[in-house]
Amino acid sequence: MHTPQTLAEVAVYFPEELDEALAALADESRRGQLLAGGTDLMVQWEAGVRPLPAQVISIKHLSELCGIADKGAVLHIGAAVTHRQLRESGLVRQYLPSLAAAAATVGGYQIQAMGTIGGSLANASPAGDLAPSLLVAEARIVVANQQRERSIPATTFWQGYRTVDCAPDELIVRVECPKLKPGYVEGWRKLGPRKAQAISKVMGSFRGAYDGAVIREFHVAIGSVAPTCIRLTELESWLVGQPLTAATFQEAERRARDTVQPIDDVRSTAAYRRWVTGRMIRGFLETWPR
Amino acid sequence: MQTIKRSWTINGTHYEVETAPLRRLLDVLREDLRLTGTKEGCGEGECGACTVMVDGEPVLACLLAAGQVPDGAQLTTVEGLEHTPGGRVLQEAYAELGAAQCGFCIPGMIVSSYALLQRGGTVDAAAIREAHAGNICRCTGYKKIVAAIELAAERWPTAGTGK
Repeated sequence: MHTPQTLAEVAVYFPEELDEALAALADESRRGQLLAGGTDLMVQWEAGVRPLPAQVISIKHLSELCGIADKGAVLHIGAAVTHRQLRESGLVRQYLPSLAAAAATVGGYQIQAMGTIGGSLANASPAGDLAPSLLVAEARIVVANQQRERSIPATTFWQGYRTVDCAPDELIVRVECPKLKPGYVEGWRKLGPRKAQAISKVMGSFRGAYDGAVIREFHVAIGSVAPTCIRLTELESWLVGQPLTAATFQEAERRARDTVQPIDDVRSTAAYRRWVTGRMIRGFLETWPR
Repeated sequence: MQTIKRSWTINGTHYEVETAPLRRLLDVLREDLRLTGTKEGCGEGECGACTVMVDGEPVLACLLAAGQVPDGAQLTTVEGLEHTPGGRVLQEAYAELGAAQCGFCIPGMIVSSYALLQRGGTVDAAAIREAHAGNICRCTGYKKIVAAIELAAERWPTAGTGK
């Protein structure tokens, strides 16, 4: 197949309905790179860090992928919902406050207006700011091909560095995210070189509940410290049953710092990332409303 | 090579555009339509110099494929703001307070300002900084830009006349 040298040489298919997009994906001769908001792909293509595809399928405009729906205990978030819509949605702000807060720290206004949740998940950056909130909420990612839908736990969706559980004939249609239950709290923290237009050095979310004198449940996920965003499950198990005291905060910080195995790269060092991870966990526990 | 046709209204004027679908909106505006007010700073979504409005929403023309701008879309670039009461208020406030130095960021900056003031709601320094977080200026340190937008907010035309 012809290899394009410039963006202008790439053919783009604009399906009018989701079924048309899925039909194109099902046919190897018509299959193409899916394009939503373009805030990752356009940069990668223009910079030459990702080869130009022969064919692109543009899906951001598909109505089936738009909108946020209240389904009782769960919110359904269409794959083409933008960061702007996430941060401004009353439903997301009330029931998934960590996700709303995370979306508000991505890029600046323009990037938030363009980039989508589906695109962010598919791009699968270990610094993808939306992933930790979905991990701690135990969201499910729903992908579809022409025959059926398939629902994947967020905890297994990211299989490795920039690798997702989504086949070449599938696309992400929505995220199903359990709402924050009464008595539970969430938090989000991002550390980057500046407040906006910055890729995270370390970021993370937690969701938990506090019962009488002790922690009843605690989920925490951290990004930019491993090939994918990760849940710190050993730390979570240890924290259940612990009192919210200074001794717990100190021990949780130490355990978090010793658990993660980040790398040195252009944005930060492994040592600093380990230290920040510990401080972030301590911060989540110390500022827990009680 | 594939081309697509789109009908857009840009700054109140109707345009029929025919282009390769994945070309950047920035290149269509600057090269095909000679609307060179919109600038390319970084070309990778970091600086905001290429900010334009598509259907009232500020977006980055360097990351937007022209084919993804739908038929019938309303676009506003810095050239169009001059012909609106709100745009003139902003232009005067930026000039009065010396908010532009080299000026390269200003076409994108002022489109973000216009979008913020058109949206309405509280316009304090925090809201201004948040709304312009995607626009980078390497000269001013932002203080005079924020002051100019605060001044423009005070002078903003009353509802319905800003467009």
